[in-house]
Amino acid sequence: MQEKNFIIAGFGGQGVLLAGEVLANAFMLLGKHVTWYPSYGAEMRGGTVNCEIVVSDEEVSEVNKADTDYVVALNQASFDKFLNKIKKGGMIIANSTLVKEIKSRADINYLFAPITKLAEEVGNIKMANILALGLVAKASKLVNLEVLEKALDNVIPPHRKNLLPLNIQALKIGYEYDLLHV
Amino acid sequence: MVECLTDKKVLTKGNYAIANAAVLAGCQCYFGYPITPQSEIGEFLSGKMQELKRGYVSAESELASINMVMGAASTGVKAMTSSSSCAVSLMQEGLSYACADELPFVLVSVMRGGPGLGNIYPSQGDYIQATRGGGNGDYKLIVLAPSTVQECVDLTYKAFYLSQKYRNPTVLLADGLLGQMMEPVEFYDYPYPEIDNSSWALSGTKDHKARIIRSYGPLADDRCRFLEKLFQKYKTIEENETEWEEINTEDADIILVSFGSTSRNVKTAMKKLREKGIKAGFFRPITLYPFPSKRLAELSKTAKKFVTVEVNMGQMVDDVRLAVNGACPVELINKGVGIPPSAEEIVSRIEVL
Repeated sequence: MQEKNFIIAGFGGQGVLLAGEVLANAFMLLGKHVTWYPSYGAEMRGGTVNCEIVVSDEEVSEVNKADTDYVVALNQASFDKFLNKIKKGGMIIANSTLVKEIKSRADINYLFAPITKLAEEVGNIKMANILALGLVAKASKLVNLEVLEKALDNVIPPHRKNLLPLNIQALKIGYEYDLLHV
Repeated sequence: MVECLTDKKVLTKGNYAIANAAVLAGCQCYFGYPITPQSEIGEFLSGKMQELKRGYVSAESELASINMVMGAASTGVKAMTSSSSCAVSLMQEGLSYACADELPFVLVSVMRGGPGLGNIYPSQGDYIQATRGGGNGDYKLIVLAPSTVQECVDLTYKAFYLSQKYRNPTVLLADGLLGQMMEPVEFYDYPYPEIDNSSWALSGTKDHKARIIRSYGPLADDRCRFLEKLFQKYKTIEENETEWEEINTEDADIILVSFGSTSRNVKTAMKKLREKGIKAGFFRPITLYPFPSKRLAELSKTAKKFVTVEVNMGQMVDDVRLAVNGACPVELINKGVGIPPSAEEIVSRIEVL
């Protein structure tokens, strides 16, 4: 497998660091080399935050790369910030509940999905981050649901295990979202 | 696509890896004051040490931390403190005293931007602080520089071992990038033998006469002998403990020298240069003191040029120049502070050197 990298970005509080940790965990479970690196301001909530995950069969070449294969943008600011960092032929997965569906670059792939709205339908808006991972798995084909579920179990602390079924449900809804209608 | 699952590894941040490795290494006492980008070390240990009924003190300042860790070390237990740049500055007097008192402990220094208050971005600006120190007099700290989260584990173990073996403070010199990033790591049992300190530790007078550990002072009539003995120890450390990684150096025209997290991009830059037909090699000091000067001097007989890559204004480059001693040019590619220059940037800057 060629080295691939992902940026997951959004508001502080949307759980992008956690989503990144779950994705990185999944790659670890697949026996890959993987790095996770966060970037955030001083705010507890409301500021912009992102993390980059780099995955490779070999040693990760750079922790913080100049361009990226996949961007997950959970809000408009992240969409605007990272659109131009995507490699030619790369993909942006955007939360169309909060992001305008404008395709200003012709050389990348767009996947708009109402991630926040779908999470509300699951019953908890906080599941948007994990739901987005379902979309990542489906679109990238680099991880599957089974391994993401194991990764979730690794990341969710013992005193929050009651939330595991809801997270898995969110993951599935993201994964089963009909990409053909995008 | 799905290959075999492995659960031997855990995904963790550099800071947590260091903290957990310290626990596994048998660290009995931790003293510290929080500072970004290393606060997770204290956070983790504040719970874990209590759980294990070991010592944890949230000190009132870094001056207090370094003196507390000296006190604990004098009793013969494994002890540690951790901090970052501007706060490690506050510990310099203690480090000089600890070398004079020959007290073994580990200082984890997770570098951030400086000088002064600086900023919380990754930096390698404390190479000089760690290897030369800001304390008074002739002393050396053993300095280990990890480049991956796994090495944060491996070298924390080693830092405890070397400090005990040589009765000398040992610095684990990480940076904000390593402290904050996550990678899969494997923890394992402390792999080094325990060092017998029964001949000097202040362990109570039940089995032996009262002892005193103090800095050698003006009344010592063997002033010079003390320093000579101390430096005999440093010579032994230099002979036995110097460690480095090198790749493709044998036939290299140009050798890239880099330490810590920056070296990851430099290794990739070396591979890219090779793909372009440029005979590049990669050299990474793992111990910054003792510095692998001898090996660099040997390589300077065959290499045409050395380039150090650092995230500071040029610090390790001085040691490379001393080692190469004019045999060939030593250039610097640097960035003041922040994420290390990309492999692409390093390659393009080397091409115009």
